[in-house]
Amino acid sequence: MSSALARRTRITGGIRYILLALFAVPWVLVPLWLLVVNSFKTERAAADLTLALPEEWRLLENYAAVFADGNYLTGLRNSLLVAIPTIAAVLILGAMAAWAYARSRSMTLQGLYYLSALSILLPPAVIPTIFVLTTLGIDGSLAGYALMMIGTKMGLFVFLATGFVKGIPMEIEESAAIDGASRVRTFFQILLPLLRPVMFVGAVLLIIAVWNDLFFAQLLLRGPDNATLPVALFSFASASMNIIRWNEVFAHVVLSSLPLVIVYIIAQRQVLAGLTEGGVKG
Amino acid sequence: MVTQLQAPPVSSPAGSASALPAGPRPRRRVTRRTWPFIIPSIVLICVFFTVPFLLNLPFAFSSWTGYSSDIALVGLSNFELLASRGILWTSTAVTVVYAVICMLVQNVVSLSLAFALRDNTWGNTFFRSLFFLPVLISPLAGGYIWRAILDPEGPLNAAIGVVVPGFSFAWLGDPVWALFSVAFVDAWKWCGIATLVYIAGINSVPRELLEAAEIDGAPPWTRFWKVTFPLLAPAFTFNVVTTLIGALTAYDVVASMTQGGPGDSTSTLNFAVVQQFGYSFFGVASSLNLFVTLLVIVVAIPLVSWLRRREISA
Repeated sequence: MSSALARRTRITGGIRYILLALFAVPWVLVPLWLLVVNSFKTERAAADLTLALPEEWRLLENYAAVFADGNYLTGLRNSLLVAIPTIAAVLILGAMAAWAYARSRSMTLQGLYYLSALSILLPPAVIPTIFVLTTLGIDGSLAGYALMMIGTKMGLFVFLATGFVKGIPMEIEESAAIDGASRVRTFFQILLPLLRPVMFVGAVLLIIAVWNDLFFAQLLLRGPDNATLPVALFSFASASMNIIRWNEVFAHVVLSSLPLVIVYIIAQRQVLAGLTEGGVKG
Repeated sequence: MVTQLQAPPVSSPAGSASALPAGPRPRRRVTRRTWPFIIPSIVLICVFFTVPFLLNLPFAFSSWTGYSSDIALVGLSNFELLASRGILWTSTAVTVVYAVICMLVQNVVSLSLAFALRDNTWGNTFFRSLFFLPVLISPLAGGYIWRAILDPEGPLNAAIGVVVPGFSFAWLGDPVWALFSVAFVDAWKWCGIATLVYIAGINSVPRELLEAAEIDGAPPWTRFWKVTFPLLAPAFTFNVVTTLIGALTAYDVVASMTQGGPGDSTSTLNFAVVQQFGYSFFGVASSLNLFVTLLVIVVAIPLVSWLRRREISA
């Protein structure tokens, strides 16, 4: 970079940070502050929706109500029961398929590849999915919902991973084959470790989509015992017609978002770097 | 964009086929050793995506209620019902306007943020994490937070009240502002990801090109339009398309902020799908679902091909 450009960047740096901070206040900080601070108030105080600190703290009561009436623990368990198998299945099975697609030029496989990629653009048809799940005898259950999630999210990961595999030199696998490794062994011991960056990006995108999904969860899951966290939150907030108990609803929002936020705080650097660098080269 | 989150594509499906390394490579046939790697994913995609997708056509013309197994085809009566109630065209119009607002807000904000945060400095890393936070909370939760902010008694009116004493406006009570607000919140929620995609796009522009343009005396604005912007095209295509498809299938934010109201002013097609589903009108819900699909095909697919053509010429 030329020195004139560098100096200009340095001078504007300070002003830029001030502007970014000013923008971050209404964009991120006020919404999050409003959420957290009102989840500590009494129902009456939270109804005013101010940014002030609570005069009377109701932290324990509000959060206890989420566990007692908000179906929180069941929701957490169900969300984990859906998210973990879905992500594992999409990553492993998708990577397997991507390897085959990337290394083959057969017309049949090209066709199957496009069939997979089609699900990225076209929205899933949810009512016939219910019919399919009913036929299989798993409608309304977590298993049916998770299978539908796997089937609809798989295409995106296959697409990303196929592009990624094409960037890996074939010589690595060929030498493994010469050394006598089986296909399965080559996949799990050679290829899968090389695919780590794209699998990480895939996992991040999948967990954000699956953890937060309400639309399909609401249509495909039946009964409070099968409710995932968004479904539990929605029924908790809708329980009292049009008057929302903001203190308790916000406590539920905080608790529902917490697992993802904790994971993000731990893996923050990798997530951002993965999405900016790994994702694009993917 | 609610459920169809996607990462930046490096190569299009069409592009990647032709972009194979040109070196000599034996033409391989599909062997028995290859199928086990393909079959699990293909079976899952076909059973849980492709088959339902194809079945949606007959279902849209059926009277299925979900309770009995006999599914009668009823011709166009679902569509006639939806049209006579005014649901079909209202929801389609609401969905299209929603998607356009959401796409514009999200891309303008995230492109600006990406230019401010493109360098890998310590401060920028901090702001990148900060602006990524809304991505993590669910659209549903984001909807509740913004419903509170936009409440007549909420912080937004209070802030405006400092400048304009006695200011009070029910943002979600006004048909036009309600639609804008809901679309805005959807954009707000996904901006973090779009920003990262744009940062990646900006940083993939070779420094030498920008320096060469500067030496040639091109002012910053020209450098942006003539060098950076054309090379940003893949990121641009990706973000515009994902936002648009996401917004065309919007549901959660509407459910938490307005419940489709006031009147039908924020009732998107997918919101109407859940509503009809709630009445057990599975056939009618299917008809609306078919409309979402048609909308995506009519709007998004020509847009993808147009944006892709621009990329090639750039």
